[in-house]
Amino acid sequence: MKQLFDKYKREFIVLLATIAMCAIFTIMNANFLRWSNFLTILQQMVLNSILAVGMMFAIITGGIDLSIGCTFAITGIVVASITVGGGNPFIAILAGLIVGALLGAFNGFLVNNLKLQPFIATLGTMSLYRGIAYVVTGGQPVTNVPDSYRNIFNGKMFAGIRYYIIVMIIVFVIAYIILQKTRTGAYLYAVGGNEEAAKLSGVNTVKTKYIAYIICGVCASIAGLVMLASLGSAESTAGTGYETNAIAAAAIGGTRMAGGRGTPFGTFIGGLMLAVLKVGMVVINVDSFWQYVVTGIIIIVASYFEFIQQDVQAFLARRKQG
Amino acid sequence: MKKKILATLLASAMVFGLAACGGSQSSASSSTTADSTATESTKEDATAASGEFNPDTDPSSQTIEQIRESLGAEVPVKAGLNLSAVEKSISNEFWRSLQEGYEKAEENVDKVADITIDVEATTDEGDETGQQTMVENAVNQGVDAIMASPISDANLTTAVENAQDANIPVVNVNDGLIAIADYYCGPNAYQNGYLAAEWVSKKLGDKGQVGIVVGMAKAFAARERTQGFKDWIADNNSGLEVVAEQNADWDRQKAKELAATWIIQNPDMKAIFCNNDDMALGVVEAVEEAEADILVVGVDGIGEAYDSIRAGKLDATVDSFPYYMAQVATEVTLRALAGQEVPHVTATPQALIDSENVDKDAAEIIGWTDTVYTAAQ
Repeated sequence: MKQLFDKYKREFIVLLATIAMCAIFTIMNANFLRWSNFLTILQQMVLNSILAVGMMFAIITGGIDLSIGCTFAITGIVVASITVGGGNPFIAILAGLIVGALLGAFNGFLVNNLKLQPFIATLGTMSLYRGIAYVVTGGQPVTNVPDSYRNIFNGKMFAGIRYYIIVMIIVFVIAYIILQKTRTGAYLYAVGGNEEAAKLSGVNTVKTKYIAYIICGVCASIAGLVMLASLGSAESTAGTGYETNAIAAAAIGGTRMAGGRGTPFGTFIGGLMLAVLKVGMVVINVDSFWQYVVTGIIIIVASYFEFIQQDVQAFLARRKQG
Repeated sequence: MKKKILATLLASAMVFGLAACGGSQSSASSSTTADSTATESTKEDATAASGEFNPDTDPSSQTIEQIRESLGAEVPVKAGLNLSAVEKSISNEFWRSLQEGYEKAEENVDKVADITIDVEATTDEGDETGQQTMVENAVNQGVDAIMASPISDANLTTAVENAQDANIPVVNVNDGLIAIADYYCGPNAYQNGYLAAEWVSKKLGDKGQVGIVVGMAKAFAARERTQGFKDWIADNNSGLEVVAEQNADWDRQKAKELAATWIIQNPDMKAIFCNNDDMALGVVEAVEEAEADILVVGVDGIGEAYDSIRAGKLDATVDSFPYYMAQVATEVTLRALAGQEVPHVTATPQALIDSENVDKDAAEIIGWTDTVYTAAQ
């Protein structure tokens, strides 16, 4: 138990902060503490958390992927076009995942082969992919996606839980297995921790970074699949700005922006915290303008939490001595 | 361990102290709105005080019917006029319709006098400088008038100043407001909200809780539509009660999630007004999933909204008919060029579309008759 706590210290602290937030929201409006509301929070964390866990892979290797919102939109358009045209939903899903993998691989190509800075490379593909989305659709939304597709993700199980919540859990479990139980996972951390050292000890850094960007692209596609099922239509403008929330969820969950550190558990908690915040502020009816302010402060506070905490500890230690 | 919890609570308390301030501020501002019964005049005072141009409250505002009444139905046109129309975001259905309207207007005028209307548009909402270049090109070519739909309130200001230096009149057509433009043609955004509230009240027997999904707060249209909706309720001492009002950044997914939360928190919510159709279509999905009985009203009248109304999902939208807006703008421009004294602001047609009139012809709904153009001597 002690061991587990030490390993996930940061994550547990964020979890505690999230629980504290829930307590405060409940004090301000007792309705917050309802099963249906809890379910809403779970549902509303799905898109951002799936995007964030993919983003985390890119960040762990010391990179970043700003293009995920566009990959998200393109996947929606591709899958919507196939299913509206009468295609098999499962083939459409496969096609969507392949699109995500290809777009991710292209980011990997720019970062690895052309040696571009990940920030600049994906800033470029962010515009490129968004442009493709506009060109392909001519700006028109693809609508009337059949229920045969939508129910795969949007259908309800017991207690009102939708299938896409299970999809999110599966994504996180797979991410956990890749990072903690495979050699690739160790390589990913090694590349982000110290790329030169990793290379010298025989890690194929190029292949490892390709894997990170492909996983990131695929996660963006999965989020796109869920969005399409949830809305029933795909637009070329979907997902604009979603990369910032994904980065925020990963950072709050303890992913180090310089690379080398980050866990799926932490990112999950980060996504949960943002969803609690989003739903909670609607519940207590906080003015929209203030939501931006509060969200920004939470991100900053959470990211610098370790420093605050160290200061508090040092202060208390000094008091004890003196 | 205790210290960590303490630190956590401290940080959270700090943040929520702020949140609480925000909450109380919002309730204060909404109560002032409710108090002002003569809201129209309050609004005008506010506008006058800040000295900003607001086409929704501009005293000169007339509809095209009023203009035809006072200035005569016939519009004399000199052959050989060159007009430039600069708009934006051609990927958006609304602006494509506006372009078709300009083409239709040119066709109508050409029957009596040959003129050209050159329509140019940016591909998206982001190309502010590209749009400025388009207007400057038109000025350099020495066109007779410019009809411009700016991306922002500011991006065309210099270009419009250049046009005015060259004695080229500029007509501001909808959206971004050019304060210095000679004329403004566009729908009354405030009226959008007003019409929506009136319809909701009629459908609900004038009582029940309603929510408002706001667009980007920086957008003039978002502010005016929301205000119009709330003012109708205040002006009519309506039994409608706005219990929730938050923004969803014009984003369909965000609007859906917002509505999903509201539906759980406010089981008595009876209607949701959205600042545009995109968000309304997201809210419709949330309402369907919750199997709730809630009226959803949007603004814009995009094709997808019409389809949704026909399918019995969306309940209503306020359409501002860009196809006719362009024809009104062309008529106003040609009247001005003929030396007529057209008002500074022309309110273009708009109407609420629901299941009863969704299949009616738009011209019939707004009572549109084509402009009567005559060849000037």
